[in-house]
Amino acid sequence: MQHYLISCRSLTYAQRAVRVLERAGITASAVRTPQSVAVGGCGYCVSVSYKYGVRAAALLREEKLLHGRIYLRDGDGELREAEL
Amino acid sequence: MIYLDSAATSLLKPPSVYEAMERAVRTMASPGRGGHAPAMKAAETVYDCRAAAAELFGVPEPEQVVFTSSATHGLNIAIRSLVTPGGRAVVSGYEHNSVTRVLRDIGAETDPARSPLFDPDAAVRAFREKIPGAQAVICNHVSNVFGFVLPVYEIAALCREQGVPFILDASQSAGAERVDFSALGAAFIAMPGHKGLMGPQGTGILLCGEPGKPLLCGGTGSESRNQDMPDFLPDRLEAGTHNVTGIAGLLEGIRYVAAETPESIGERERRLKSAAAEMLADVPGLQVFSGGESQAGVLSVRHESMDCETVCALLAEKGIAVRGGLHCAPLAHGTAGTLDTGTVRLSFSPFTKLREVEKACGVLRKIVN
Repeated sequence: MQHYLISCRSLTYAQRAVRVLERAGITASAVRTPQSVAVGGCGYCVSVSYKYGVRAAALLREEKLLHGRIYLRDGDGELREAEL
Repeated sequence: MIYLDSAATSLLKPPSVYEAMERAVRTMASPGRGGHAPAMKAAETVYDCRAAAAELFGVPEPEQVVFTSSATHGLNIAIRSLVTPGGRAVVSGYEHNSVTRVLRDIGAETDPARSPLFDPDAAVRAFREKIPGAQAVICNHVSNVFGFVLPVYEIAALCREQGVPFILDASQSAGAERVDFSALGAAFIAMPGHKGLMGPQGTGILLCGEPGKPLLCGGTGSESRNQDMPDFLPDRLEAGTHNVTGIAGLLEGIRYVAAETPESIGERERRLKSAAAEMLADVPGLQVFSGGESQAGVLSVRHESMDCETVCALLAEKGIAVRGGLHCAPLAHGTAGTLDTGTVRLSFSPFTKLREVEKACGVLRKIVN
């Protein structure tokens, strides 16, 4: 199953983003950013399923919580940068 | 035991505080240090506490709530972020050493806006005169010695007019008075977790209106490749592992305060203080520092001939816990004229019963007679 990983500044921002999305009815979770794409080192991102990606990104953009890159993770774990 | 030392530490807490702490120590790891369940469970608790504190104190976003080990820790961050060597900081005449010693250590000038006890108008006049040109204003909301409620909203407004940053020490007011970060427009508000917020010792909160200067540097679980501290809150000011057990307890304390409301807790404590002041008013040789509406649930007394520590020791023998001496606030005692003697301080909590106050006052009356 495909998931979007939306990079956040920190764990606290990721948690805030999760709350924003959950309030909008979007299931989301804060997860560790894969090291291969963690630009500054360790970090957290928000994971949402493929079908909610566009809406989630719009909501987080509106809340000024979109920070950094967005990745699409395939079912086999492969990551590629995405634009939403 | 009758515990009347809540201004130092609220010994009696809601049971949910103890339960949450036990749960935390058994099940939680470190937030920001992994993605596994115990780490994320800790992270949820820490975030919930930030969000609860932000809501209670009118802070726009949870990341502006920084966890510290005490109000002193928070005040050190706040003051060192704004005051530089040779600068001038205006303080009230009732500050604690957690403010004045920091200023001394920085090499800044401590400029007290002194005013008489329980006279808020005089306090505003004193600040109005001193604020222009100051690097910062630091003021406690409630004097830890006398319970004097400083007119901090008016003082903060004067600071905004003059463009001078305002730091509030809410050590005695958080949980028992309205503390509204947005209304105050404060640069920082520091508070302990273990007093009116009913959390355990070793917890504190710094509400931040600006990023601040880190007092400690180290791991934050974020931007690890960057050798500078992150430039965003709360990570910038929270190096090292969090006191998750303490924060779990603090969260339950804040939930209790939010449900009861600080205004109603403060009102209960004031009633107890007024009752004590009334019961002690006619004790021969006893000076009672009572201030009506300008006084929170903290009451100081002193006897004309008995040493305050002797009075405290005799009360302790009878199972009554109060605090004597200078209460780490020589400036406050100097302003009130009690520096040479100190005072005996009685302080109350929402769990204090009127009959306990009556008994304590009766014993105190006998001791000094």
